[in-house]
Amino acid sequence: MDVRYPIGWMFALMGAVLCVWGMARPGLRAPLAAVNVNLWAGLGMLIFGAAMILLARRARK
Amino acid sequence: MTLAPIDYLILCLYFGFVLGIGWWLRRRVRTSVEFFQSGRSVPLWIASLSFVAANLGAQEVIGMAASGAKYGIMTAHFYWVGAIPAMIFVGLFMMPFYYGSRARSVPEYLRLRFDEKTRTFNAASFAAMTVFSSGISMYALGRLFQLLLGWSFTACVLLGAGIVLVYVLFGGLTASIYNEVLQFFLIALGLAPLMILTLLLVGGWRGLQSRLPEVMTSLWSFTGSADRNPMGVEAFSLVAGLGFVLSFGYWCTDFLLIQRAMAAESMPAARRTPLVAAFPKMIIPFLVILPGLVAVALTKMGTGYSLPLKESGVYDYDQAFPTLLAQFYPPGMLGVGITALMASFMSGMAGNVTAFNTVWTYDIYETHIRPGAGDAHYLRVGRITTVVGVLISIGAAYVATIYNNLMDLLQLIFGFVNAPLFATFLLGMFWKRATGHGAFTGLLAGTAGAALTHGLTLAEEKGAWIGELHRFPSTMAQNFWIAIVAWTSCFLVTILVSLVTRPRPDAEMRGLVWGLTEKPADRGRPLLLGLVVTAILLALNWYFW
Repeated sequence: MDVRYPIGWMFALMGAVLCVWGMARPGLRAPLAAVNVNLWAGLGMLIFGAAMILLARRARK
Repeated sequence: MTLAPIDYLILCLYFGFVLGIGWWLRRRVRTSVEFFQSGRSVPLWIASLSFVAANLGAQEVIGMAASGAKYGIMTAHFYWVGAIPAMIFVGLFMMPFYYGSRARSVPEYLRLRFDEKTRTFNAASFAAMTVFSSGISMYALGRLFQLLLGWSFTACVLLGAGIVLVYVLFGGLTASIYNEVLQFFLIALGLAPLMILTLLLVGGWRGLQSRLPEVMTSLWSFTGSADRNPMGVEAFSLVAGLGFVLSFGYWCTDFLLIQRAMAAESMPAARRTPLVAAFPKMIIPFLVILPGLVAVALTKMGTGYSLPLKESGVYDYDQAFPTLLAQFYPPGMLGVGITALMASFMSGMAGNVTAFNTVWTYDIYETHIRPGAGDAHYLRVGRITTVVGVLISIGAAYVATIYNNLMDLLQLIFGFVNAPLFATFLLGMFWKRATGHGAFTGLLAGTAGAALTHGLTLAEEKGAWIGELHRFPSTMAQNFWIAIVAWTSCFLVTILVSLVTRPRPDAEMRGLVWGLTEKPADRGRPLLLGLVVTAILLALNWYFW
């Protein structure tokens, strides 16, 4: 059992949800944030999650 | 602040995964070694991240931001003086004895090295302390979410505690450790955007320096005397009290942390666990303390944000972190931020629960109540203890809502018992002449020394219940000096009593003390790792001087 799978999947899913949400509501802003936080943070989480899954796969081979 | 459905979706996703990890691991727990010690098979990087996460409770995130807003960057001393040197020391010099002795817990090491009474004293105070402190952090979380999101206190406490209970019951220490890694990443990735966004707005560190008084952005410049900085501490008590006694006492002897390194797969991995953990630990101040400073800067900038005031008209520093979340995170990311807070609470609580069930089962139940039973029996006792421990914690959380002072008093007493501990371990590990009677009397003397110092000194109207001999500029300074006195009295009394009591034969102490233990091979280059950490640490202290 490699813990990188559940961690990777959780962040990939969370990131994907945030990305889609960020694209669906591009105008949604917190009072002091000038950028689309959901989109960018979601993208970061998606990449992190994917990297975790890839690392776990490479270790299995 | 109200959460949108998308935020609840994120929170549920997280709950699903932590429970899933516990469920996934349920088949791997068949023996007590697997339940309590994770089968001593955890890879280095997992042990290291869980070492950091188990210490990173929700109170730390909120409290460090509050402290950053109140005292400025000097708060980082709790990391760069108050944690890292001790983490280097425990990895390089103490882990060979903890791991090499094959003790199953820190109190059990005391049994092997000294005697039963020293172990029992340590085990009982540790067990009581862990359940109560997890109750107190549960109380803090319940209050926070009640205030912030309007959740019911009971729902919040039961939800948080219930989920931790379920995954620890299924997967034991392994589930706790694996989830701590997940929680660590969630805290880091959930809080990093806040740090980036806030720093961008105030113009980075230089921008903060230009907007805040110099004393808030200097680490050491104002520590020449206690009255020049808002913490009210001077460099000596900072280094000796916080950097040496308190932090070595916590990071080198607290079973909650050591348990994670003891579960590592090999001696080289166990030794490097705290050293590798030092890297993320050095970075955490940027995530949790800087937002506090930014909150003060933003208040002065007239951005429309200002730090909320208490009814008495002073800043409510505890609100710094939650209000910033609301100002910078839109619905969606806000869910991630709140989930990160929840995760930090759970990682701290699971750490307490797993340490408690191990110490209770091995050091109290197996030793004093029912020795010599089969492994399956102790595994069952461990599971029952987990449930009982969580129930006591929930009870303590409710007691805290009614008798806040009682909880403060308990924490104070635990502080007295803890302060001298490091002297006992230091002498136990590095001076083979130290005896069980010496260690036990030393611990009592240290605890008494701590209580006396508190009773004879006054700070912010606290202490001096015997009489006032001295007045400290802040309770922080008082705490540091209590620790220094406790440590010194324990150290001296242990030496004196050891010298007049009968020494243990060398043959009984192989693997337990310096000089009678084979030097561990330098596999994995822990020394080099320690030097790298030291170099980065010095650079940080120099940059923020």
